[in-house]
Amino acid sequence: MDKKITQFIQALRNVGGVAEVVKNAADAVAHIGAHLQGPLLAPDSHSLQQAGLKDFLSQAGIEMVCDDFRANGAKAAGGLTGANFGIAATGTVVLESTDENVRIASTLPEKHFVVLDPAKIVSDYNAALPIVRKLHEQWPQVYLAYLTGPSRTADIERVLTIGVHGPRELHVLLLEGISSDFMER
Amino acid sequence: MNKVERSRNYQHRVRQALNKPRLQEALHRFADAYTLAREKAFAGQDFEELRNGIGKMKDEVRDNIDHYLNQFIANAEHAGAKVFVAKTAAEANAYITQLALEKNVQKVVKSKSMASEEIHLNQALRDANIKALETDLGEWIIQLAGERPSHMVMPAIHMFKEEVAELFSKETGREEPAEIEHLVKVARDQLRQAYLEADMGISGANIAVSETGGLALVTNEGNARLVTTLPKIHVALVGLEKLVPRLEHAHDIINVLPKNATGQMVTSYITWIRGAVPCADEKKELHIVFLDNGRTALAKSPHCKDALRCIKCGACANVCPVYQTVGGHVFGHIYISAIGIILTAFFHGLENASELVRACIGCRACVAVCPSQIDLESIILHLREVLGEEEGIGAGKALVFKKVMRNRKLFHGLLRAASRLQKPVTRGERTIRHLPLFFSGLTEWRTLPAIADAPLRDQWATLNQVQAQAKYRVAFFAGCLNDFVYPELGHDLVQVMNHLGVEVTMPLDQNCCGVPALYSGDRETAIALAEQNVAAMLADDPDYVITTCPTCTMALQRDFLDLLGDNPVWAERARHLSEITCDVSRFVVEKLNSGTSFEKVADPAAVTYHDSCHLKRGAGVWQQPRDLLAQTGRDLVEMAHSDRCCGFGGSYSFTSQPDIAKRILNDKISDIEATGAKCVAMDCPGCMMQIRGGLEKQGKKIRAAHTIEIMAEALPQD
Ligand code: SF4
Repeated sequence: MDKKITQFIQALRNVGGVAEVVKNAADAVAHIGAHLQGPLLAPDSHSLQQAGLKDFLSQAGIEMVCDDFRANGAKAAGGLTGANFGIAATGTVVLESTDENVRIASTLPEKHFVVLDPAKIVSDYNAALPIVRKLHEQWPQVYLAYLTGPSRTADIERVLTIGVHGPRELHVLLLEGISSDFMER
Repeated sequence: MNKVERSRNYQHRVRQALNKPRLQEALHRFADAYTLAREKAFAGQDFEELRNGIGKMKDEVRDNIDHYLNQFIANAEHAGAKVFVAKTAAEANAYITQLALEKNVQKVVKSKSMASEEIHLNQALRDANIKALETDLGEWIIQLAGERPSHMVMPAIHMFKEEVAELFSKETGREEPAEIEHLVKVARDQLRQAYLEADMGISGANIAVSETGGLALVTNEGNARLVTTLPKIHVALVGLEKLVPRLEHAHDIINVLPKNATGQMVTSYITWIRGAVPCADEKKELHIVFLDNGRTALAKSPHCKDALRCIKCGACANVCPVYQTVGGHVFGHIYISAIGIILTAFFHGLENASELVRACIGCRACVAVCPSQIDLESIILHLREVLGEEEGIGAGKALVFKKVMRNRKLFHGLLRAASRLQKPVTRGERTIRHLPLFFSGLTEWRTLPAIADAPLRDQWATLNQVQAQAKYRVAFFAGCLNDFVYPELGHDLVQVMNHLGVEVTMPLDQNCCGVPALYSGDRETAIALAEQNVAAMLADDPDYVITTCPTCTMALQRDFLDLLGDNPVWAERARHLSEITCDVSRFVVEKLNSGTSFEKVADPAAVTYHDSCHLKRGAGVWQQPRDLLAQTGRDLVEMAHSDRCCGFGGSYSFTSQPDIAKRILNDKISDIEATGAKCVAMDCPGCMMQIRGGLEKQGKKIRAAHTIEIMAEALPQD
């Protein structure tokens, strides 16, 4: 496996995130199905579409929420998004979240599933810089997120506790061949 | 409140804090864990290079603030944001409450923002009948408790889970068990609905990028993402110092901030926001309120302006022995610890900073970890001078400094007289265990050395100096303690130097180095003493000037330059003196290659070493004395926190904060004792006085020695 991919996986696991290489869409669906109990928020995304994930998930009997995220967000058990790219050094996924639905899917539910094409993992912040700059040049309004592991706090007696306001679990599924587009939105 | 009341009030709060051993223990434990985690997080990175870069970049912005602010505003407005620059706290509060009233906002959710604490925004909103709810866990806890943050990054670090459970139980109306995981879940459940209901979200920002007109938020909990997403209006309150030119500079801060704040490699979330992003089928209203509130004035202060480099990582509190001892409510106003002292002076007025300025012990632990390369200690010293000018330094001190110290003969005459007068108290012993009446507080927790019968200067002529062909001729700057309290160190020094082929002179016109006056805020006296000492030490044109006291070393190397650098009569000589001044351990190792000069003791006793603050973090010397201990055949056993302050701090431990000093000394003694060594070595007569006095008072059979003594003992007998 590419060194960047192993580094990404290790870094993400170090901070309590789940990182799995999946061979195909069916494996991804199996992973999501095994970890999800309830409806799934699935905003439109190029990566998800390429992988045909939504159809597979519906066929697997998972309740898909595809509209009115504000009303449904609080009840959903999970959110599913497609990452723009990953950063190996820190185990970070970068998610263009200007679309409000992407933001809701990645903040409100307890679990957040992200599919990422491993070909889009760059080494570090330096390598991420030109991409981030380009993402800023593309449209005037930008809401961009670097996500590294689950939500955490140490505000009570400095004891690290996972899952305060954001997702308690972050699952990154590495699926080859779904997207080479760093700018997807 | 007048000055006397204010001081009394402050001392009262110090004593209250000292009565909370559980808090102290928690802060000490946190400091240990933090230090380890931070080291690990920075492994393989060049911290000096990183912080040099951040410092330079921040200076560039500070010196061209109009340019970067205008560029930011143009880009942000182009993306649909509204930008307001508030000159004062009142202007910022008025803008935000006005906006809320106009838009009929009932409920506000907030994510963590120190700037909003700075301007008391919650109070302003409450006065306008608008309910503001803190959503950061720590901020929520202290909001429920009606307190203010005691740490910039971990606002509720002073509270324990039982207290949190009690607050939460009141809120939920159920009995909430004091289990941390459960309490975190309670917060999650309780606050969830609020994000959806709120009409306005208020956040801070860690970075404002001029190049893009966007903000970056560095967070862990995820509440800031909800606060900036769900409500229709987003107000970001941003200190002007948060501006950076370009995205790469933002990355530099994002790289360093979590590592230095908590020892995390990276936070869970970095959120980049620019412009009016979509919100519930409309466009969000984004208002960016830049806060000046004293920042422009700070940028113009030649001595203090570096404080604007601060990225609010909180590290200066984490490592501060005073903070660890009394906590952030006592050692802080709104902003905490070292940087808090400076920001308080500029944002909340010198009056609110004055007690804090005096509570700093000057150990430079903060300077060593600051990722923005701020010399916090120097700035705090400067504020002390300003305070001295504004409020006076106290009649007693003023008299001593101005009338006595500046007149060397009078000063030394009085010290000699004191040596005779103390006789009834010392009963001929070398230490004072009890002092009469109200002075007795000074010996309650440590014995104090007596002033020597004859100061070193009176004995100097009798010391052996036979040197056929001296390698160097060096002048010894003894400093008051070495001269009048520990003259025997001077004997040791001469023996060691002579053995190594060096001739030592002691210019008798030398006077106190001036640090006590400087640290008390009397710059004028410090300047007068600097001039006397430069003239005295250079009179014979020595090859080097050597010292046994690192505080004196820093005075000669650094402070004299600062005091006389602008004076054409003295500047050149002060610079020369600075260049040839060297502490004795470094001198022996580096200039004399002492490698095999000492005889190793046959039965190597374990010795532990205490790093004096000014030697390690001022002069940058810590390896050399360790090498010397090894050269004399000692077994060095490192103590925990070897470079943590011993609590001496000159007048700090006598008059200004003896209670804090005592507690810090006790920590040091525990660390020394835990090594099992029967001797602790150090390179500072001040530390020696403090540590020796504490060990003796507590009846510990551990010797406290200057490294020069140990060197002298290891000279070959002939
Ligand atoms: S002064 Fe330095 S160490 Fe203290 S908070 Fe600011 S950046 Fe951090």
